[in-house]
Amino acid sequence: MAEGESASSERTLRPEFTGSGAEYFRVWVVNLLFSLLTLGIYSAWAKVRKKKYLYGCTRLDGDSFDYFARPEAILKGRIVAVLAFAAYALVGELYPESRFAFWGAAAIAAPWVIVRSLIFNARNSAWRGLRFHFNGTPGEAARVFLGLLAVTAVTLGLAYPWFVARSKRFVLEHHALGSSRFGCELSTPAFFWLYLRALLMQIGLLLPAGALAFLGVWALRSHESLSVLAIALPALAVYAVYAVVYGYLQARTANLMWNGSYGPGLRFSSTIEAKKLIRIYFGNIVAVIFSAGLLIPWAVVRTLKYRLSCLAVVLEQEVVHEADPGFARVGATGQELGDFFNLDLGL
Amino acid sequence: MSILRARYFDSQRSIGHDVSVILGSGALKLVGRDIDLHFDSRQVRVAPRVADAPRWIYLPGGGACALEDNDAVDALAREGRFARFLHRLESRPAYAALALALVVAALWVLIDRGVPAAAEQVALRIPPATESVLGRETLAALDRYWMKPSTLPAMRRAALSARFHLMAEAARDLPPHRLVFRSSPRIGPNAFALPAGTIVITDQLVALAHSDSEVLAVLAHELGHVAHRHVMRRLLQGSATALIIAGVTGDITSTTSLAASAPVLLLQAKYSRDYEREADRYGIGLLRKAHIPPRSFALILERLQAAATARHRGGVPGFLASHPSTEEREALAREAATH
Repeated sequence: MAEGESASSERTLRPEFTGSGAEYFRVWVVNLLFSLLTLGIYSAWAKVRKKKYLYGCTRLDGDSFDYFARPEAILKGRIVAVLAFAAYALVGELYPESRFAFWGAAAIAAPWVIVRSLIFNARNSAWRGLRFHFNGTPGEAARVFLGLLAVTAVTLGLAYPWFVARSKRFVLEHHALGSSRFGCELSTPAFFWLYLRALLMQIGLLLPAGALAFLGVWALRSHESLSVLAIALPALAVYAVYAVVYGYLQARTANLMWNGSYGPGLRFSSTIEAKKLIRIYFGNIVAVIFSAGLLIPWAVVRTLKYRLSCLAVVLEQEVVHEADPGFARVGATGQELGDFFNLDLGL
Repeated sequence: MSILRARYFDSQRSIGHDVSVILGSGALKLVGRDIDLHFDSRQVRVAPRVADAPRWIYLPGGGACALEDNDAVDALAREGRFARFLHRLESRPAYAALALALVVAALWVLIDRGVPAAAEQVALRIPPATESVLGRETLAALDRYWMKPSTLPAMRRAALSARFHLMAEAARDLPPHRLVFRSSPRIGPNAFALPAGTIVITDQLVALAHSDSEVLAVLAHELGHVAHRHVMRRLLQGSATALIIAGVTGDITSTTSLAASAPVLLLQAKYSRDYEREADRYGIGLLRKAHIPPRSFALILERLQAAATARHRGGVPGFLASHPSTEEREALAREAATH
């Protein structure tokens, strides 16, 4: 990369989202309608359109991001993913033992799916006319995602924080803007402390939540018509505790990850407050349930706005990033398989 | 000729240039400090408009421009008819409301009619033998944890089996089926159709019934599940609704999508009630053909309801229930009896 005039002091850039939930709702609902009317075929075009809106409305240092994947590539990937899902769902139900074969195949394919999905998304995203890149390999992905998951299983979950730290680092440090590679240094003990706190928090919350639910059930025991609540109350309490701990972990892992990340002449900083994120998640859950899903776009924009507002890019010096001359086109099958089977890479 | 303000990026360096875009006859010019570029406007691609997000113009050679004034770009670059139509729909709240109503209607048609009809068509084309492994394993699992061998005298079982097969012969085109007897104080009086046409009846149900006709009425209902391939249809509909829900709720984080998956449970319950109604109708038809009074079905339902109330107090609300209400089902049987 070429260095521009070196600035005397740091400059902090804050990404901002300049779109609105109402506008995104209109885009979302119209594209959903076309997707339904075409029995899902249009959903590939809808996905590009929605992402184009979200990326276009995200600005950093005054300039917006762009997403330009070819819908045809996404459609092809989606068809493969739907077929794989249908085969898994039907054959897996009819011949329960075949599930082991499916899981084995999924484990073998997972590193490839993860890497392809990250490459496809990165190469079809750009900022200031420069494409992003992802240059991790399936071999490394296998070491992190399969190797460390195996270690996690063998240690009965004790190694899980280590796995989280390594997988976040894998995703971040292989990304690049043009030829400027990002780096990521994470302190593994910090992840262990975080998960320990989350575990204590979960235990601490489950006790009173369980007691409250029990009290509720006990108070209702004589009302036969309310016996549904006897199931619903404890389930709700557990779900609420789960949401709190989930929000806490999301906020803290994002902070740890971004605060450990850097690029040429820049570093990231993230200050997500767990309390605020949990409040946003609870608002989303209630809104999505009571609107029968209609407020999903509102929830998406609200969460994105908050998360972006907590992220900062600190420029230690003004660096001009340059394009990476060598890149090849990548299909979307990996990404669509990953999306379908809910591979959450959580950036 | 018109001039628009834009940010130009050359795709090689992360530097934005403020430029003026000048669109003349057949040519597009970019003019700014140290920038003077000419392009053939036929080789320039204007990205479709998405609400009011910045508009991208992709230039030959990899460069791109971002423009903020969407309306001005629209005036210059005539978009395709579908793109203009799409943008018009997305830009007005009234159209969004209309789209919303249509989405709800389309979802309803898809879930209420489309999925069940498609599942039925597909299920009828899949040979029942594909269910045999699942049927064997389900029965084995039930035998391991829930059921014991029947304690009914062999004579009684043989007599019931004979009457069952006689009744089944009255129906034409039934897929393969067989009747097995089990004892299960834990399950109580019940009968159910497993995959591959295995019908299980508990000793407790035989004891509860006051006549063989009542037992046969329940078995006729279970044969309805077998005839209509409900096991296969349940599998197909489950996958199809999972696909639809995943498509609709696509872009949200996983806690919220857990909330969005609540409708799946309600849908499963609704489909289950639809199957029960279909099996009820089939069962009553079969009873008539086999000259067994359909009233027996109403009688045994009443007894089953009483037994269930005695076992666990309370119940679940209608929209969560896997079966239609007993009143509704008895009414159907009574109505059939008067015909």
